[in-house]
Amino acid sequence: MEEIFVPALGMAMDNAVLLEWLKRPGDSVSVGEVVAVIETDKTTLDLPAETAGVLGRHRYAINDEVPAGNTLCVVLAPGEVEA
Amino acid sequence: MSVPDKKTSLGLLRQMMVIRDFEETADKLSLRGKVSGGMHNSSGQEAVAVGVLSALAPLDVIATTHRSHHHTLAKGFTSREIMAELFTRSTGISGGRGASMHLGDVTKGHFGGNGIVGAGVGIAMGAALGIQQKGDKKVSVGFIGDGGMNTGRTWESINMAVIWNLPLIVVVDNNQYAVETFVGRVTGGGDLAKRAEGFGMKAFNIDGMNVLEVRKYVSEARERALAGEGPTFINALTYRYYGHNVGEKGQYRTLEEIDKWRSTKDPIDHFISVVISSGYATQSQVDEMRASVRAEIEDAVAFADASPEPDISTIYDDIDSGALGVQL
Ligand SMILES: Cc1ncc(C[n+]2csc(CCOP(=O)(O)OP(=O)(O)O)c2C)c(N)n1
Ligand SMILES: [Mg+2]
Repeated sequence: MEEIFVPALGMAMDNAVLLEWLKRPGDSVSVGEVVAVIETDKTTLDLPAETAGVLGRHRYAINDEVPAGNTLCVVLAPGEVEA
Repeated sequence: MSVPDKKTSLGLLRQMMVIRDFEETADKLSLRGKVSGGMHNSSGQEAVAVGVLSALAPLDVIATTHRSHHHTLAKGFTSREIMAELFTRSTGISGGRGASMHLGDVTKGHFGGNGIVGAGVGIAMGAALGIQQKGDKKVSVGFIGDGGMNTGRTWESINMAVIWNLPLIVVVDNNQYAVETFVGRVTGGGDLAKRAEGFGMKAFNIDGMNVLEVRKYVSEARERALAGEGPTFINALTYRYYGHNVGEKGQYRTLEEIDKWRSTKDPIDHFISVVISSGYATQSQVDEMRASVRAEIEDAVAFADASPEPDISTIYDDIDSGALGVQL
């Protein structure tokens, strides 16, 4: 199970704002496909999947502030279920 | 290159594996926000750290840079106390006050990392002067990056080490990039050892991906320094596998370039083949070693995670020597 999370970048660990979901729960995703877009105080960032699988549930909604390090969603490999 | 005995060789290999696993683990934790202030990953540069530190005595001095986990692990500090420092916990090597860039313990000859490019050589040069004044049988090593080769203080320090004949060894941990700048693009004259020779210092360009080569050059430099023959400059060519800092999205080099260094020059892969061909270990023993390293680093993370932050009541500690009796 791959966790897609808000990376802590740079010296200060900031919150990010979730701008967009490009995949819905249950959608299949392939390696490199962008799942979500977030905005930090410096930049907007595409968050791609690093593994192929099926997207789990959205843990945040558009415009939510998400602390750096927190998981936005998971990508499930065949046979895996989300806790 | 003559291969050291079995115990020494396996020790060198394990130490390089510890550094690689520590860095790759800490890199992921940093992205998760566990490492205050971020960090600089030294993966790829293990042979420089382990080659240098294995040629030194325990109380020889080192001073290093912003990228110093590998030097600090190789000096014999534990993965627990370094991971705890990255997490800024009270059990860390600097009591949780320094984080990734300020690992150090002067009582054990580690004069610290710091965030000022080029400063390590100046600090090590001062330590070498102290060693000489006190007549100690020690040497001082200043680590510096290729970027630090273009700062003034570095060459002021090198000049002083030459004119005072100090027991200093300057080691360029030359990973070929200063953030996004390729060393070849900013090195006037093209040859770092020749620069140091111009200051009258004995100087070598060596293969920083070969732990035995680094160890040999540093051992010889140490012998010379202890015999009163003065300082040595060693430019160890190596390569950094990850971004300058964690999370960097680099666009200044190709994935092919990184892959070429990793797949053909990796210092750990290279030394595994040396260890196996010397009959010191089988492939399955190497795999066991890797598993024990994995367990050590997992333990270090658990230790760091379970450790307390420094107590707020200690906030004014360690900011002066205490000699003035300042009350804050
Ligand atoms: C005096 C100074 N100038 C600039 C910086 C910003 N800076 C931080 S790391 C770095 C690059 C250092 O490159 P190098 O010396 O090759 O070390 P590496 O990061 O490759 O280990 C720079 C320019 C700094 N910290 N200090
Ligand atoms: Mg560099």
